[in-house]
Amino acid sequence: MNGWTVAATAALAGGVGATVWGVATGPLRRRVVAQNLSTSLACPSLLLLAQGYDRPSYVDPALVLALLGPVGTLVFARLLAEDLEKDPPKAPWLTYAASGFGAVVVLVLCVVGGPDRAMGKLLVTGALLVGGNLIASRALAGGIAGSRHG
Amino acid sequence: MDDPLIVVTLLLVAACATAAVAVRDPERQALVLAVLGTTLAVLFTVLQAPDVALSQLAVGSALTPLLLLLSVRKVRRRGRKKDKAR
Repeated sequence: MNGWTVAATAALAGGVGATVWGVATGPLRRRVVAQNLSTSLACPSLLLLAQGYDRPSYVDPALVLALLGPVGTLVFARLLAEDLEKDPPKAPWLTYAASGFGAVVVLVLCVVGGPDRAMGKLLVTGALLVGGNLIASRALAGGIAGSRHG
Repeated sequence: MDDPLIVVTLLLVAACATAAVAVRDPERQALVLAVLGTTLAVLFTVLQAPDVALSQLAVGSALTPLLLLLSVRKVRRRGRKKDKAR
């Protein structure tokens, strides 16, 4: 094990473990937030693992997760809109913290890797991850018009 | 050499799968299933199978919850119609 995989282990045990707890218990609004956060915490872990194993092709699952994770959250925001309207989920600080963690991981990996094609892929992954999660959490909170009329 | 990492991800998958079985409401079950898909993808990556992780992500994180929620919706709507007919 090297420093990268240790960091990934810590992110998985602390972050994803907490989201598993959050999604398994509590009211519906807490569960949807936990589901959204699980994406934004697992994706940086996958990036850290790719760096730790020294296999650039392992970035692909992280890219797919950054693309499909927010899509899954949007599915929940659309189809659970009636239930979420009664008590809308609001956890802006948690969402910003998780997005910030993803952005920091992507920036550190870019600095370590140096400028080449892999860096472009990393930046695309980071942009998709942060943007997608912010949009998904807005949709969950009812910020996007139209997501309420399911 | 990566034993702690494998143990952590296996524990996550086990906890999530147990929760998916224990939760009763199908909508909440779909949420737990989405997280289970993500943790399984991480497990496959840790076990050096990123191609399996890719397909797991595609199926587990968006498609399975979508299918589940759509069928729950349809069943509920049909139930409501039957209630009205009575």
